[in-house]
Amino acid sequence: MDVIVQRSGGLAGLRLTWQVEVDAQPDRDDWVLLLDELPWHEVPAAPPEPDRYVYRISCPPNEVELAERQLTGPWQQLVERVRQTASPQRGGAPRRPGR
Amino acid sequence: MPEIVPPYLLDRIAESAGPRFPLAAEAARRALLRPPSPRLGPGPLPEQPSALPDAPSAPVRRISDAEGLEKLPGRLVRREGEPATGDEAVDEAYNGLGDTHRLFERVFGRDSIDGAGMPLEATVHFGDRYDNAFWDGERMVFGDGDGEVFQGFTGSLSVIGHELAHGVTEHTARLRYEGQSGALNEHVSDAFGALVEQYALGQDAEAANWLIGEGIFTPEVEGRALRSMLEPGTAYDDDVLGRDPQPGHFRDYVETSDDHGGVHLNSGIPNRAFALAARELGGFAWEHVGRIWYDALVSGRLREDETFAGFAAETLRTAGERFGAESRERQAVLRGWQAVGVEPEAGDDAGADRPAPRSAE
Repeated sequence: MDVIVQRSGGLAGLRLTWQVEVDAQPDRDDWVLLLDELPWHEVPAAPPEPDRYVYRISCPPNEVELAERQLTGPWQQLVERVRQTASPQRGGAPRRPGR
Repeated sequence: MPEIVPPYLLDRIAESAGPRFPLAAEAARRALLRPPSPRLGPGPLPEQPSALPDAPSAPVRRISDAEGLEKLPGRLVRREGEPATGDEAVDEAYNGLGDTHRLFERVFGRDSIDGAGMPLEATVHFGDRYDNAFWDGERMVFGDGDGEVFQGFTGSLSVIGHELAHGVTEHTARLRYEGQSGALNEHVSDAFGALVEQYALGQDAEAANWLIGEGIFTPEVEGRALRSMLEPGTAYDDDVLGRDPQPGHFRDYVETSDDHGGVHLNSGIPNRAFALAARELGGFAWEHVGRIWYDALVSGRLREDETFAGFAAETLRTAGERFGAESRERQAVLRGWQAVGVEPEAGDDAGADRPAPRSAE
């Protein structure tokens, strides 16, 4: 089970991706608990704010897109944890729509 | 009378020559109050005066310090008229907002973001090594950068102008921040960001570098800036960052679900059209393409979900209205769009199905 956090946008329009292989983590059970508790299906649409980041968080089959302003509570916890665990990958081809 | 001394210089003299050269300062102030010479060609738009207002207004700036937290607005540290604080980010933001206000007010007759003297609010030192600057609907917010790739965002006047211009767009054309209209929103911010820098430095279109965000990368990064308006895709090429991915031609438009449909990528296409037109005309870009783009932005004719083709058509219309249908200004704008593969939307005057003009704000 992988969790992937992708941050796009910002003034510079640079994309960063962090990926964590949950099963390989020494604290795997904590990760699973955190992932299970996330409100994957309760993310309201947010009005876009110029130059702010957009986060796409996925843990198949779940995936959400969050505005930076929506990155609070358990989502913020998850992203902080992912960033502490994995090094970011930069760039890559822009994600095609509808995938 | 033709303006030999450019307005930015008059500004500087009027503001700083006071104690030592009182006569020069007074003369500069009087020159600034004079309406510009009637050189703008036929049919100036009545609701968007190119003449300077009788009483030039001053900005009302308020700079706050988030002190490393991601909380807004932060602690108010410098109000209008207060002396420099010694904090570089605070003072750069204060000065940059002044330069931006000056361009909009002196050149386009627009007093602040809303055209009605709205205070200019900024917060600096936002977050911990925060790698971004943005407009949140009320204020400009600037991070300090991580120190490895970015070294802060207030050091670039084009970035400060870019953020403030997002506010102007929000109060005028309201271009929806998604897809083509989102890329146009980004483009408008880059265009006016570049003009703020050129106006402050007194650069003509030839001398200008047409870069957005020069100086915000650390010296370790192989790159000149975030974006090049003239040559999209060439701003940086770095081991860590990769290569500047901006397209400069409509055939290379990037369809993506990242970043609201690649708004920071596809802005390269209209950016190049704007810079090419400015360079073809020569002289000060704010006097021709800047004027044409500003007229389009406030015309009330742009759709919120505007396409590149529709936006191009509207710039042709405002170029014709301000400078004449056969003018070299309109020709240059047309050639700019053609060079990037954007065919202006057909129609007598930019489309019969357009909304009726709203009253200018």
